[in-house]
Amino acid sequence: MPRWLIHRLLLAVPVIWGVVTISFFLMHFAHGDPARIALGDKASDASVAALRHQWGLDASLASQYWSYLGQLFHGNLGTSFYYHSTIVSLMAERLPVTLALMVLSAIFAVSASIPLASRSATQPNGLVAQAVRLFNAVIQGAPTFLVGSLLILFLGVRIAIFPAGGYPNGFGARTWALILPAVTMALSIVPLLVRGLRAAMIESYSSEYVTFAQSKGLGSGRIRRRYVLRNAGISGVSILGIQAGSLASGALVIEQVFAIPGMGSMLMTGILNRDYALVQACTLVFGLIVVVVYLFTDLVYARLDPRARLS
Amino acid sequence: MTRINSLCGVALLATVMALTSCSSSGDTSSGAGQPTMGGHLMMARGAEATSLVPSIPQDNASIWIIEEIFDTLTVPSQDGKSVEPSLATKWEQSPDQLSWTFHLRDDAKFHNGVPVTSADVKFSIEQNQKDEAPFSFIDEVITGMDTPDVHTIVFHTKAPWAPFPAVMGLFANSVVPANYGGLGPDAFAEHPIGSGPFKFDSWNKGSSLTIVKNDGYWKKDTPRLDSVEFTVVPDGNTRSTRLASGQVQINEYPANSSVSSLEKQPNVTVNSFDSSLVEYLTMNTQRKPLDDVNVRKAISQAIDKQAILKAVLYGHGQLAGSFLDPTSWAHDSSIQGATYDIDAAKKSLAQSSVPKGFSTTINVTAGDQNAASEAQLVQSDLAKIGINVQIGILDPAAILAAKLQGNFDMTFAHYTTDIIDPDENVRFAATDSGGTFANFSRFTSPELDQLATTASSTSDQGARKKIYDQIQQIVADNVPFIPLFYVPGIYSYSKNVGGFHPGATGNYFLENVWLAK
Repeated sequence: MPRWLIHRLLLAVPVIWGVVTISFFLMHFAHGDPARIALGDKASDASVAALRHQWGLDASLASQYWSYLGQLFHGNLGTSFYYHSTIVSLMAERLPVTLALMVLSAIFAVSASIPLASRSATQPNGLVAQAVRLFNAVIQGAPTFLVGSLLILFLGVRIAIFPAGGYPNGFGARTWALILPAVTMALSIVPLLVRGLRAAMIESYSSEYVTFAQSKGLGSGRIRRRYVLRNAGISGVSILGIQAGSLASGALVIEQVFAIPGMGSMLMTGILNRDYALVQACTLVFGLIVVVVYLFTDLVYARLDPRARLS
Repeated sequence: MTRINSLCGVALLATVMALTSCSSSGDTSSGAGQPTMGGHLMMARGAEATSLVPSIPQDNASIWIIEEIFDTLTVPSQDGKSVEPSLATKWEQSPDQLSWTFHLRDDAKFHNGVPVTSADVKFSIEQNQKDEAPFSFIDEVITGMDTPDVHTIVFHTKAPWAPFPAVMGLFANSVVPANYGGLGPDAFAEHPIGSGPFKFDSWNKGSSLTIVKNDGYWKKDTPRLDSVEFTVVPDGNTRSTRLASGQVQINEYPANSSVSSLEKQPNVTVNSFDSSLVEYLTMNTQRKPLDDVNVRKAISQAIDKQAILKAVLYGHGQLAGSFLDPTSWAHDSSIQGATYDIDAAKKSLAQSSVPKGFSTTINVTAGDQNAASEAQLVQSDLAKIGINVQIGILDPAAILAAKLQGNFDMTFAHYTTDIIDPDENVRFAATDSGGTFANFSRFTSPELDQLATTASSTSDQGARKKIYDQIQQIVADNVPFIPLFYVPGIYSYSKNVGGFHPGATGNYFLENVWLAK
């Protein structure tokens, strides 16, 4: 393993520790008692005390924190108060759904952005470029839950091509059910990607190597693919990498709107019910996803741009 | 669901529309004709069940599925006025009134084929008596249980306890096999076994839960459906669109704002079922100046409940009078809520410690659009008599903590009853022994506490009714909280769903439901 990779991995350790610690204390300092929430407002105080003891919530905060860290060190994410089952088993059901949603939306975002950006770069005042500018302004201003609801209304009800939310059984049906939510999530990052790519492409077009390629008499399509896009792609990759975090947080809203049983909707349930272990585990996993994506972005970056090789 | 299926759904929908438009209008509750057997019913709900072990959960999403899988000794009638036999065929109180004997039916079997016996009942009640069970408070009255034979169980109570038959209809007192059928609590939670009309089939956590017909159910000719699938759809709009596109047949709780547009859809029935839900505004009677009854009276007279009902609930509800809802046999209809009258409110305030008005806060739950709108209307109403209201927004967990710690001025909340006896809500809403300090108002009245105790130990229902009338009057006179509305349970469902009629306590009674072909 190259030294810089080891260095990066080691840097991830304090990041993860920070995520774990902050989410632990944020949850425990938030008002509200998980045992009382689980038992409801009618339950007696004796019931609440019994459950707090059963869940170890009557120990001091410091000792709860240490035992939580110890537990994590052994790879044990704990048990969910709300779902009454182990978090590992919940993750096994939920994580693949959210990962599929994130990957699918990244694919959609990239495949929509590249043609739009290159058309806008080559014909900055063309019809496409103007439409893209208008689209960017509208879509960036519209909240994702609105875009999602509109897509459900038009493509799930009026013309019922896609299911109006929900997550059926079977691989084909599930993939089909993920398309609308993935498109909604993709739409939220397309404007940033298009702008970044377009700017990078315009810069590339004005560079000497493109002028040289043109003077060699290379075709415009070949110049775009081999010279311009390849260079502009570097900035595209870094924008996409940074957007991994926003895709993860977008899942929180989108899964709720489309009734997709992923990590986002589980985290939401956890927060509202003060399910400490569940929220901490979800935050940890989202944190890990972002760290891994950043690391991966660095790798790809280094691969595309020899100047950025980190050895 | 695949694309092909959705398109079929649309075709089916069109067919149903064509059929229903030809048929003459009959029973408003269904266009589904005579009961038929078979079919797979899909129901969309906003929340997911948390546990199907009867003694663990307290959320409706779990409760209403537990009631389909398990039986209780008694069952509340649909209108919520009486207790009917279920696993027990009859019951009687001993002459000294300190024990209740229940006689079990001999043809009831668990889903694994084992007959239901008194030993199973004893084990089940013991689970709900454990401290960490949310409804252990309701079984606190039981001091011991005897099982003289396999079909008889005797409960000893610490005081004469008239609500007992209703207590035995509580979902948390559902009968599970003794020792969880040898499975252990965790394994049982994964695959619960009851004796109810439906058997547990599968649960994809986060998306859907399926129950299937129990062919050996003791109640003849039920259930009619082959299977029922509960799908979780948190967003109300998505639930409505899934019903419209034929992907589900029942939508639980459509948004009030969507009801009128749903009613216009040809293939959809919208129905309001009487429920025990009472929505109220509670006031912290231990904080100045809300400790002054004249202040609380002034607030109740200054709030235009009718306007809130129209604007926020779109008229789906009834202005509340007594804090005991009309589905209860103890409801006193002679008690009317304060009429909206600004002049009277000003007069009440003039007699109080703060004749010129004061500043206070109403807490609402973050994300609860209805509560936010209600708070704004109350804010403008109270401004007219000089009360300056700030609206504080807290998340659900924080608001519950604030209410229980008495760390608030005013807040909206609601309650329902879990048993059909008035005892539960009287203790919860009016006495400080119910764990919630009289709907969080911290109102105390030794006289009322004494009346509640007398009422629960009096056997004659007529005599009890008189005592409950007194209690309702005391609450109305002291205004510790303002009952605002009696809110029905609204469901929208496809026209081919027949026999769907949830009870006052929310039970779906799905064994009676059928799907027209």
